[in-house]
Amino acid sequence: MKRTYLGEFEEVVLLTVAVLNEKAYGVAITDELDRQTGRSVSISAVHAALSRLQEKGMLYSHMGDATAERGGRRKRLFTVTALGSRTLHDIRSMRDQLWNSIEPNALPTIGLAGS
Amino acid sequence: MQHTPPRLADRFLEWFCASHLLEEVQGDLYERYVRDEQRSGTSKANRRYWLNVLRFIRPFALKRQPAEYSQPILLHPIMLRNYFKTSLRNLAKNKISTLINLLGLTLGVTACLVIYLITNYELSYDTFHPDSERIYRLVGEAQYGNPGEKHPVGFVPNAVPAAIRKEIAGLETVAAFHTISTDVLIPDGREKPKRFENTHSEIVVVEPQYFDIFKYQWLAGNPQTALNEPFNVVLSEQKALTYFGNLPIEKMIGKEVIYQDSVRANVAGIVKAWSQPSDFIFTDFISFATIHASQLKKSINLDQWDDIWSASQAFVRLPKGATPSQFTAQFQRFNKAHFPKEFKYTPALQPLADLHFNEDYQDNYARKAHLPTLYGLMAVAGFILLIAAINFINLSTAQSVQRAKETGIRKVMGGSRASLVMQFLSETTFLTLLAVLIALVLVKPILAGFQTLTPKGLTVNLFSVQTLVFLLGVTVITSLLSGFYPSWVLSSYVPALTLKGQTALNNGQKGHFRKALIIFQFTVSLVFIIGTLMVSRQLSFIRNKDLGFSADAILEIRPPWGDREKGDVLLQKIKQLSTVDRVTLEWFPPMGPAYMVTKMKYQPPKKQAIETDVSAKVGDENFIPLYQLRLLAGRNYVKTDSLRELVINATYAKALGFRKPADALNQLIEWQGKKIPIVGVVADFHEQSFHEKIEATFIGYMPGQARNIGIKLRTKGKDMSDVKVTLASLEQQWKSVFPDHKFEYKFLDESIASLYEKEEKTGQLVNTSTLIAILISCMGLFGLAMFTAEQRTKEIGVRKVLGASVGSIVTLLSKDFLKLVIIALVIASPIAWWAMNQWLKDFAYKVDIEWWVFVLAGLLSIGIALLTVSFQSIKAALVNPVKSLRSE
Repeated sequence: MKRTYLGEFEEVVLLTVAVLNEKAYGVAITDELDRQTGRSVSISAVHAALSRLQEKGMLYSHMGDATAERGGRRKRLFTVTALGSRTLHDIRSMRDQLWNSIEPNALPTIGLAGS
Repeated sequence: MQHTPPRLADRFLEWFCASHLLEEVQGDLYERYVRDEQRSGTSKANRRYWLNVLRFIRPFALKRQPAEYSQPILLHPIMLRNYFKTSLRNLAKNKISTLINLLGLTLGVTACLVIYLITNYELSYDTFHPDSERIYRLVGEAQYGNPGEKHPVGFVPNAVPAAIRKEIAGLETVAAFHTISTDVLIPDGREKPKRFENTHSEIVVVEPQYFDIFKYQWLAGNPQTALNEPFNVVLSEQKALTYFGNLPIEKMIGKEVIYQDSVRANVAGIVKAWSQPSDFIFTDFISFATIHASQLKKSINLDQWDDIWSASQAFVRLPKGATPSQFTAQFQRFNKAHFPKEFKYTPALQPLADLHFNEDYQDNYARKAHLPTLYGLMAVAGFILLIAAINFINLSTAQSVQRAKETGIRKVMGGSRASLVMQFLSETTFLTLLAVLIALVLVKPILAGFQTLTPKGLTVNLFSVQTLVFLLGVTVITSLLSGFYPSWVLSSYVPALTLKGQTALNNGQKGHFRKALIIFQFTVSLVFIIGTLMVSRQLSFIRNKDLGFSADAILEIRPPWGDREKGDVLLQKIKQLSTVDRVTLEWFPPMGPAYMVTKMKYQPPKKQAIETDVSAKVGDENFIPLYQLRLLAGRNYVKTDSLRELVINATYAKALGFRKPADALNQLIEWQGKKIPIVGVVADFHEQSFHEKIEATFIGYMPGQARNIGIKLRTKGKDMSDVKVTLASLEQQWKSVFPDHKFEYKFLDESIASLYEKEEKTGQLVNTSTLIAILISCMGLFGLAMFTAEQRTKEIGVRKVLGASVGSIVTLLSKDFLKLVIIALVIASPIAWWAMNQWLKDFAYKVDIEWWVFVLAGLLSIGIALLTVSFQSIKAALVNPVKSLRSE
């Protein structure tokens, strides 16, 4: 099965769009990323990823409302398309499958000692 | 406290970001900016904003979305046809502004073309010779006496060229020649040979090397051998035809030509004259070997080291890669070796390209052009074209409101900004091309009409490649200059606003630009006006200032040099004429181009001797009364046969330390070993043009020099027919004494006027450019006034209904323009003052630049501007408000 390749950052952005559900646009995504992952990324990087994702058909966008703080400019709101959703699920199931295949003691234990 | 992000960053973003992304991107950045500002203050937020903007310089943001509709090609034939059609319609609709623009552009382009033709002609002098950059003239620095004043001379002592050829290493070719002035006799088998008068220095005695340096096309004869033998001559084709008529060229070879009545030379070659402009106007080239073999050696002493004549010329060609500076040391050694006595001469090299322009190096043949005048002309042409372009800009931006709807429709229909700019530019280009065509038609008659201003021999080839390239350049530059800004403004209108009927002009800004342009126009005009006033003041000062002598009804004739007795006979005969008041034998009149300086010594009692340069005026005892020189003390010198008594001028008396002129009387002046008493002192009089100061001068009788005849006519009133009769009788006397010579005369006032030929030309030039500049500026102002009056029709109607008088409305409409003229005056005054100061600096006697000249110029231009504007404003003010308010 041929699958569209997604970069790690693209995957995270796509997930964030899903998290924000209907309210995903540039600044909101940037902030959410910051809050959830602690990664401080520039707006332009997010925009670049969004436009790439849209080109790949994983995002759908429409123009939303304008607000005063945006100087009267409208937002572009993003939603995940069916293809996007499928891709995310595929990635997840592949990861799960991999996790399930790991022998219980194959990985060195971490975390318990530290908590 | 809400701030907006840095404007510049915003603009930058708007510029580079793809339009389909701009809205969301900018919105996001604004949102972030607001947050940043709340958190960490304005300045930090500004910095962050800049950073964020810069981070967007990425491929995805730069890439433009392909347009959904195909764009028409910018210059598609169909669109071009449409542009052409709308241009014509628009031009036809605004007839007056079209006319103003066309007239202005035509004037500008014509002025440019005329000036281009003139300057191009002058600058192309002698540029066509092969290897012309290696050709130099031998010139030098001469010095009389020690320590004497050094001055540059454009010629060489007779013996120098041959010596230089031998002693100076590294010169490729040296060619000497002498210009001679002589009548030419052509024996044609009959008793008396045909005589040809020769007025210019067209006849030269040349070394064969001349033809090695300057290449001619030989129609007959061998360039290698033609001038090797004595008594050979090479003629130009034109001259040969004059001498021999329509003889075939082969038959002219071997024919005899006689110079100076006895030097018989045979034609050894015929050359074609150059068709390009050149200072080498020579037509008769006599072989150099003839000098030794004939009586020419009497006037051309080839062994002479201690004197210098302007007829003696030499040119050299340097080898490839050599520079004139590498000969300086050799030339200085040459000076030391050959000039141990009073007279000193250091050779130097003058580039051929300098020949036509450098007035320091005088000679007998080259016509000098004044380079600063040429540059001034170019500047004038540029300014006039600029003023015309400004008219165009002003009128079309003012009218742009009317075309806003058209722009809107075009944009809605998919016209891009580029295509709109293209459209308006094509309109300008069309108009400019029209102006160029008209200029082409006008240029010949104009050149013919301004013949006094154009250089002699100006030939015009309008359809040479060079001229066409120039015209193309003018067309392109003018179109861009005048069309670019208006088209930019027009195409910037937002269709949504203009189609709704709002004029999208943000009036303040555009109005300022237009005002600045008008100020510029009037500044240029004002500088011209002030220049005109000052130049004409100086010229009338020159014409009317007391010269210190009378130049009225005095003429000068020059009997042929060499026949003293006959000259005296003529003098006696002229004296008998009843129409002649007085006659004098003289060297030259008191004032004129001829000027002779000698050294004189005065020994005051018990003090050091005073030796000075003194200018000499030579004439017999009738000289002072004839010219009505005013005696301050003493008397005129009495009739003698040699220099026995002197009269000096007041400046010389002062220079010798006499407080009163009378003190100088009977003092002895030493000159050439003789002591001569001063018998009279005359008031100062001008000897040279007003560029020179009056210097120490003496007047005396030296029979050797006084060979010309000055004649004061007895005229009652100024009746030209009387003068003609007198001239006829003078000619009769002349012919009875000198039957073989042409009778020539010169009126003194005319020859004095010719000293100021250049200034008169400058005057005419400034007048003409002033006229053109004012004309164009006023046309622009007129158009603009018409337009504003039209725009404010409603306002004027309302004002009138509310009780405004016609006068107040005229004032209202004119006031704005007047302000601009006054600002222009403030800017123009110092510029004009500086320029006139530069021009006047050359005069020793000049008028002051007075403040009222500026006021007068200001009043003049205000008057002109008022006249132009008021025509429109009065018309607007008189309109019945019922009419102007009824519609709509």
